[in-house]
Amino acid sequence: MRDVYVLGIGQTIFGKHDSLTVNDLGAAAALAAVKDAGISPKELKVAYCGTMFSPPTPVQSILFHLGADRIPMYTVENACASGSSAVHLLFQEVALGVRDVGIALGVESLSAFNRKFGKGLLAIEGDLQGKLALTMPSFFAKLCNRLMEKRGATIEDICYPSVKNHKAGMTNPYSQYKTEVTVESIMASPMIADPITVLQCCPQSDGAAAVIICSEEYYKQHNKKAHRPPVRIAGSVISVSGAEDVSYDPLAMQVVIKGAKDACEMAGVDPQKDIDVVELHDAFSGEELAAYEMLGLCEPGEGVAFARSRAVELGGRCPVNPSGGLLSMGHPLGASGVRVVNDIARQLWGEAGVNQVEGARVGLAQMLGGVLTGIESPVVAGIQILMI
Amino acid sequence: MSKQVVFYPGALEERDGKLVQMGHKCKDCGKTSYPAVELCPFCSSENVERVPLSTTGTVFSYSITRVPVGPFKPPIIGGYIDLPEGTRVFGQIHAKAEEMKTGMKVKVRTGVIWTEKDGTEVIGYHYVPCETGSGGA
Repeated sequence: MRDVYVLGIGQTIFGKHDSLTVNDLGAAAALAAVKDAGISPKELKVAYCGTMFSPPTPVQSILFHLGADRIPMYTVENACASGSSAVHLLFQEVALGVRDVGIALGVESLSAFNRKFGKGLLAIEGDLQGKLALTMPSFFAKLCNRLMEKRGATIEDICYPSVKNHKAGMTNPYSQYKTEVTVESIMASPMIADPITVLQCCPQSDGAAAVIICSEEYYKQHNKKAHRPPVRIAGSVISVSGAEDVSYDPLAMQVVIKGAKDACEMAGVDPQKDIDVVELHDAFSGEELAAYEMLGLCEPGEGVAFARSRAVELGGRCPVNPSGGLLSMGHPLGASGVRVVNDIARQLWGEAGVNQVEGARVGLAQMLGGVLTGIESPVVAGIQILMI
Repeated sequence: MSKQVVFYPGALEERDGKLVQMGHKCKDCGKTSYPAVELCPFCSSENVERVPLSTTGTVFSYSITRVPVGPFKPPIIGGYIDLPEGTRVFGQIHAKAEEMKTGMKVKVRTGVIWTEKDGTEVIGYHYVPCETGSGGA
């Protein structure tokens, strides 16, 4: 395996971009990424794009805008880990020496999706549980109820990631929301599934993100930003659940626990000591609260205490979602898995502005997605560890 | 009589004049899965037989949805039910919100769960409490 580096990143502002197609959004992010990398789009040797609801062949349509053509291009779908999967597949090609440089994109237009299928909670087509009214909020409401029953979490604890992340999003130029929330305003917002209210849920968003990934040799030849410390993707894992996960506790999702453990082993890091910053899938406030222990940032069972110690805020032991996370950044489904990798790279380069985690050297990006009939748990997690 | 369809293919079938949930029991690893799929999802064995699921179980976890979802009007109580054979099944629970408790005993009911605009009756299942006061967090 060869070392793999991040050469450049780009993204659109996340939010409502009703007049833009996925091709417009993807092209804006891809163009920003190649400009950040300082290379011509003609340099790209392979392209992957993560998306859930785009029209066919979005990656070709997007890269046509930039004149990148006649290279292998693939669109991958893996629920909320679609973008993570695009990054992972590109990482593998570079690590295995198949290509020296390529682009991983993620793109989604929920505005376009809503025009086609109508607004409302996303149902899972053809899923037994979905037909019986299981939705993402109702699944994560069960997780919140478990947090309160088994971990002693209070409503304040459940709301804490939303309060923290909305505050961080205020100063992120790419975020959808620029509004602070309080426990009171969160609980005064409409109830979706007890105890999850609207302001504990990420919004529906349009947007795209792109990252240029390359070999060490290519990096040495082409990196023009000498002030940036070289950021390496030291671990990358796509973790999928199994039939046994049916009977597991949602507070101990094996798909997350094993994925994080494998990625940390691959990168040779101890999550409790070495990881300085995390960007994770906080589609729901309680989901983030449950994730700290599953990612190994603290001991099993200690996630609520870890949050109460303020370890996950800027200035704490391991800030989580200093970008504002999905809750404030927004969540254009396929784009988020690329966006979290970009935000970790930005942190390690020291380019995160007022949301900078001082001295960050190792960061973890995580996405979690899907439910499946017969597996009463999310089915896929994508995890990348970046380091300088 | 109006047309009837099962909400999910193979999820229920008629046995002795009653609609029952049908899963697969694996004769090799002994585990029961629901809904039934081609091979045992635990051990990939082909040696599976269709069996009716237990009709009672305990609530592992539940939540109450306060917005409409598809044909269902709120409040919608949905829960994971642990059956004695070790299978965890998702289903709606028809109960009062204030009587819901983790660990409470529930039993299955089968029948029409919604009616399509053309009058087609959709057959499915839900759970109801066995008795008040069972279980507890």
